[in-house]
Amino acid sequence: MLVSYNWLQDFLDLNEDPKDLAEKITRTGVEIASVDHPQEGLKKLVVGHILECEAVEGTHLHKCMVDVGEEEPIQIVCGAPNVAAGEDVIVALHGARIAGNEKIKRGKIRGIKSNGMICGLQEIGFADKLVPAKYADGIWVFPKDSDVKPGDDVYEALGMDDYILDFDITPNRADTLSMEGAAYEVGAIIDQKPKIEEVTLKDDGADWTSDLETVVDDNLAPKFYLRKISNVQIGESPMWMQRRLWNAGIRPINNVVDVTNYVMLLTGQPMHAYDAKAFANGKLEVRKANSGEKLTLLNGKEVDLDTNDIIISDGQKPVMMAGVMGGLNSEVTADTTDVILESAIFNGTLVRKAALRHANRTEASSRYEKGINWDNTEKALNLAALLLRDNASANIEAGIIKATDQQRKPAVIKTTISYINKVLGTDLSKDEMVKIFDRLNFDVVVDGDDLTVTVPNRRWDISIPADLVEEVGRIYGYDNLESTQPLLDETHGGYSKQETAMRRIKSIVQGQGLMEAISYSLTSPEKAIRYTKNPKEVVEVAMPLNSSRSTMRENLLTGLVDAASYNMARKQKELALFEQGRVYDREGGSFNEHEHLAALYSGHTFANNWQHETQKIDFFFVKGQLTNLFNSLGIKDNDVEYKAEVVEGMHPTRTAAIYINNQYVGLIGMIAHNITVQDKALRGSEIYVYELDLDTIISMLTKGMKAKTAPKFPAIERDLSVLVNSDITNAQIINQIKQSGGKYLVKVQVIDVYAGAQIEKGKKSLAYSLTFLNEKDTLTDEVVTKAMDQIEADLKEKLKIKIR
Amino acid sequence: MDLFEKLNKLREQGIERINQADTQKKLDEIRVELIGRKGQLTEILHSMKDVAPENRPKVGQQVNQLRDLFQSSFDDAKEKLVQALIAKRLEEEKIDVTLPGRQAHLGSKHPMYVILDDLERFFIGMGYKVVQGPEIETDHYCFEMMNLPKDHPARDMQATFYIDDENLLRTQTSGDQARVLEKHDFLKGPLKMVGPGKVYRRDDDDATHSHQFMQMEGLVVDKNVTMSDLKGTLELIAKHEFGQDRKTRLRPSYFPFTEPSVEMDVSCFNCDGKGCPICKYTGWIEVLGAGMVHPNVLENAGIDSTVYGGFAFGLGIDRFAILKYGVSDIRDFYTNDVRFLEQFRKEED
Repeated sequence: MLVSYNWLQDFLDLNEDPKDLAEKITRTGVEIASVDHPQEGLKKLVVGHILECEAVEGTHLHKCMVDVGEEEPIQIVCGAPNVAAGEDVIVALHGARIAGNEKIKRGKIRGIKSNGMICGLQEIGFADKLVPAKYADGIWVFPKDSDVKPGDDVYEALGMDDYILDFDITPNRADTLSMEGAAYEVGAIIDQKPKIEEVTLKDDGADWTSDLETVVDDNLAPKFYLRKISNVQIGESPMWMQRRLWNAGIRPINNVVDVTNYVMLLTGQPMHAYDAKAFANGKLEVRKANSGEKLTLLNGKEVDLDTNDIIISDGQKPVMMAGVMGGLNSEVTADTTDVILESAIFNGTLVRKAALRHANRTEASSRYEKGINWDNTEKALNLAALLLRDNASANIEAGIIKATDQQRKPAVIKTTISYINKVLGTDLSKDEMVKIFDRLNFDVVVDGDDLTVTVPNRRWDISIPADLVEEVGRIYGYDNLESTQPLLDETHGGYSKQETAMRRIKSIVQGQGLMEAISYSLTSPEKAIRYTKNPKEVVEVAMPLNSSRSTMRENLLTGLVDAASYNMARKQKELALFEQGRVYDREGGSFNEHEHLAALYSGHTFANNWQHETQKIDFFFVKGQLTNLFNSLGIKDNDVEYKAEVVEGMHPTRTAAIYINNQYVGLIGMIAHNITVQDKALRGSEIYVYELDLDTIISMLTKGMKAKTAPKFPAIERDLSVLVNSDITNAQIINQIKQSGGKYLVKVQVIDVYAGAQIEKGKKSLAYSLTFLNEKDTLTDEVVTKAMDQIEADLKEKLKIKIR
Repeated sequence: MDLFEKLNKLREQGIERINQADTQKKLDEIRVELIGRKGQLTEILHSMKDVAPENRPKVGQQVNQLRDLFQSSFDDAKEKLVQALIAKRLEEEKIDVTLPGRQAHLGSKHPMYVILDDLERFFIGMGYKVVQGPEIETDHYCFEMMNLPKDHPARDMQATFYIDDENLLRTQTSGDQARVLEKHDFLKGPLKMVGPGKVYRRDDDDATHSHQFMQMEGLVVDKNVTMSDLKGTLELIAKHEFGQDRKTRLRPSYFPFTEPSVEMDVSCFNCDGKGCPICKYTGWIEVLGAGMVHPNVLENAGIDSTVYGGFAFGLGIDRFAILKYGVSDIRDFYTNDVRFLEQFRKEED
């Protein structure tokens, strides 16, 4: 809400710098997002009275003689269509500054001397949406009641000398969405009682209350008041009202609509004015819309009404979307003579949903959404009637129709002085606390430590003792609170075991040179289960923003592959990325979240270099990194098994499922060609990845260890070369060697693999280095030879392997 | 020629030849010729029989001196050759040390975790436990327990990713609060926790909105926790994160799960409060929201709010990163452009 400092002076005696006041309000009540001073930066803008105005032949221009309060009138050429003799206008004199810091100079237009410029409101800084429609495409003309004379600065007359405080409210402080509410708030802050005026009204027409039959659902509108105003003269609002409206960010329309807006700004109660002709058949209904009903709103938007929209109808068709915007079919126009004024409380949730549904939020709907003061319904209605009598020479017909009239009782809250002090950490006395409630205009009864506080309806945000703690705290001033630390029994901070292990794993892979990525958890249904062995039922959101972010990922790789595509499209082809995060799936009604780790490599082991010493990333580089990770976690090579398996999205002959102690923990391999080929950025790249289920792996880890001394006796190494059918795997051979090698065989390493021209077709040759060690004694050749013989014998017998 | 002359000549010639020898091999040949078993000195020694007996000792002495001289000349020459050889080899081995080294992959932490890890350590140091909760959360824990009424805008299908009527992607880490409050046994001591993690909102991604981001929730509950304690704690957090010389202010605010609620601003670290585009000319930058735990939140978790109370705060990790690193587009955190990410290698957490 834009709050005018000048208007606030109606209620309070302000003599503070508006910026200092704004800072106080921010620290005590509502954040003031900005303080705007409209005349800032403007110079030499005065009222001019056009004495003569003649058209310049062959152009759209007019040559005007303008009285600007100097001895002689000055000549100004003006191109506005609405310029005419007799008008009071805004003149930018020679040397003036207008909006955008533009300077106005004396000069010639089409050879005709012009000593300044006659301005429209936009040209001196008004937003387009605030300029009355009549002056939207021309110069501004002061209304006759403006009380301006030539040569005066224009700022005061236009309200530009004001300071506008932008109250950026939180949803609970909608009570400040009115001048009266703001005045109560600022009054409490600066310790002044605001002057809030009551309205007394004498009607001057016949009783009309039996002219209209009303049917109002009080669930939709618990309070629904109407008045009738007759013989209105539609025209412009007086200058003082226009000024207040545009300084509040509302465009003046005509004297009827302006009054409804003005009253809303003053009291916070949204108002609506109907042309009484809309209810010519004597009926008015407040109900939910029927399906199929349509309404064209005042802004020209045709709306298909929803059955949860509240509407006002004439007994048949809708004429207003309640609390949001009127219908074109009941609009107050230049021909309107009689007006029905509505002041009502509507169901805020339904209004909010309707405004949202039809993308049509308004000043009124946002007030209904956040809450309304239930005590201002009648005051607003009477005030609007009074103003219409003043501004539109109207008659006020006798009586108010109160179609529904629920009342709300003020909240009475019991609390204690000690409770408030305990929560705040303060030591305020009874008197100090009573004083604060008095500043807030809350009635308070004190009985020893007990407080009974009666909160007026205008502060509907307050209902429990904690709310009073906030009121006392903020008026006392958060700046005045001490800064202390909680005095508590000792607590032990730290991570869970799982979290500690994950952090260790992350730091290991970072140390291996991987760059950490964070991807979105939501992806497409296809990607959610790609790169996933045995996908489970996916988790889908009901209303995704788009189809590529509709499903929770069951793997992290999809995010990394997306990242690879993004980077490769930008010529970043050397990639070593990892992500640690969750994957999600569901089993019927229950949901699972698992911590995973994934890595993606593409390009080379070393950055391009002048020595050309680097290798292309391949399966075995990545597997080596993974092996190191396992080793650092204390997972023994013997316990890890890699089995060639087929997984969607992965290269069918270059992918392995990883098992630790026969439990599936993840996969490693190359991204399938059918994935990379579809993506221009990835085409031709070999991308190697792994993904691990950390929940499973971490559950296998053991903490703590016993150290042994380094071996004191030398190890003996033997080589073994074999020729085998190519379908026999390294793992099979190594397993056999380990089984047969006896207790001193401590390590078996493959040192060469060869298949090709030198070798029989369908065969391959492998060479192994075997290490034997007896930790307690010197090993003899004899023992080792015996072990080797056993190995060779078993290989021949069990795997039909030829020893070379 | 007399023997002495012969010796003199041999000395001159010998020294010259030694000094001229340019390889180890030549030097060895010369050595054999001069002082070898069949060498020239030996020859002279053999011709001693022709020398007058009274001169023999003198000749012998001179021959021995010459042998010593040759020997030391050989040693010197050899040393020189070795030195030359080494010098030559070193020259061959010379490298241009200004050429660049070979670079293997260099790891880095994501900026979000630079901030998060640092904050976690900070809180652990003050005795907070780090607690993780589910991202797929129930309406019950995310909203109901946190005192968000049924018609609260955050509970709209428009604002939150619902999976079905009951389940949703959490919009805030506050659900962790409810879960921990329910479980905590206050007989065993006060509750002090932070809950970091991913949250989701149904916003279209643009420079300032992301449908996924990171938050950290903090909660301290016991019998005597005050709003002054909250103020002191928030000041520590703000100064830790944005600098010890920052000024702070508390503003009243609103969150359904705290009452009173506040937001904390720090004086703009760009302009030091004078006003600039970063602080939108206010001199202040909003950094966090907090408040005293709403009695309903405690009661919902079965805790007597007349006995226990405390404070809670929420930190936007993306916002911290944006402010600290001057990032202008939040999407930079999630597109994983390596040219963006690699900048954070230098950041300590």
